[in-house]
Amino acid sequence: MIKYLLPLLALHLGFQSIVLADALPDTDNGLIISNVWVREAPPGAAMLAAYLTIENQSDKGRELEFVVSKYFSHVMMHKSEVIDGVAKMLHQDKLSIPAHGKLELKPGGFHLMMPAPEKALEAGDTVYFRLYFANGESLPVKAIVKRAGIP
Amino acid sequence: MNNSNHSIAREAIWIIPGILIAAIIWLVFFRPTPVIPPELTQATLLPEGRAIQPFQLSTGSGEAFTLENLKGHWSFLFFGYTHCPDICPTTLQDLAASIKIMASTPSSTMIPQVVFISVDPERDNGQQLSDYVQYFNNDFIGVTGSENELLALSRQLGIIYARVEEKSSEDYLVDHSAALLLFDPEGHFRAVFGAPHKADNIAHDLPLIQAWYGLVND
Repeated sequence: MIKYLLPLLALHLGFQSIVLADALPDTDNGLIISNVWVREAPPGAAMLAAYLTIENQSDKGRELEFVVSKYFSHVMMHKSEVIDGVAKMLHQDKLSIPAHGKLELKPGGFHLMMPAPEKALEAGDTVYFRLYFANGESLPVKAIVKRAGIP
Repeated sequence: MNNSNHSIAREAIWIIPGILIAAIIWLVFFRPTPVIPPELTQATLLPEGRAIQPFQLSTGSGEAFTLENLKGHWSFLFFGYTHCPDICPTTLQDLAASIKIMASTPSSTMIPQVVFISVDPERDNGQQLSDYVQYFNNDFIGVTGSENELLALSRQLGIIYARVEEKSSEDYLVDHSAALLLFDPEGHFRAVFGAPHKADNIAHDLPLIQAWYGLVND
């Protein structure tokens, strides 16, 4: 009997740990990160942009202080803004995500800017970032490289 | 005498109805309809158009690009730089998407030439500039020129740009006008599309402007 039960138990535990691992980042701190993508760069483009959405379901506001990635020499937080008809990129020291609020990084607004790596990234590639918050939390995120305009 | 007077009077009877009929025919068929500028979603029309002074730039593949290259077709001009990771690719993407929409809509829309003018000649030139724009659409043209050559064109169009120094000098940013400028086939500055751009708006406004232009220049 035990012979049959053990594999089942192992299977059960295995599934449980997978479920937990998936659920942890969301339930633990109340942050849900979605729609993470890097815009595939045209050939010869030296700079890349990445976008993501952070939803804060918790009762405490967060501040995104900086982002790092081993795929890029550095990651900057920017905001594109058109002021009196002139497009500017403004450095952001931190990005706020209010309690029960949402921060969207999307084309034409907030975005991450990174120097393009030597080996060009292509649509379908995957890269990782780690987001660091002012309260000491940090979260890994996976980003897919996508060609903009193609859903 | 009496007879001929009578016949003149009889013919005169037809003068007034004749004029009326002619007037009606003219009103219905020949009256030039007053050309009202179209209602546009995004663009601002320059009803008079604006002739511009000659300029001299060059394409990524090294050919001259001058005022003559704006003649004979509609053109969109957009000033930017390839180190711009967000606004510039988004705008070129929107233009490419608008062209797809216009090309797939059965209409007489004339597909415009798209010219990306780099205001960062220090970092953008040659094949790199061509490759960059052709990523969005094979027909897009990338051009640039020396500081003075660029100013000769941008100044007369009200385009401004300025280099913004970063901590490391390689990383400088360039603030630049975000508008799309539309030129008619005479090479006259005809409309401005202010940011933010949307493919649908461009595909909506351009055919209206072209139709209006056709009527005005008939």
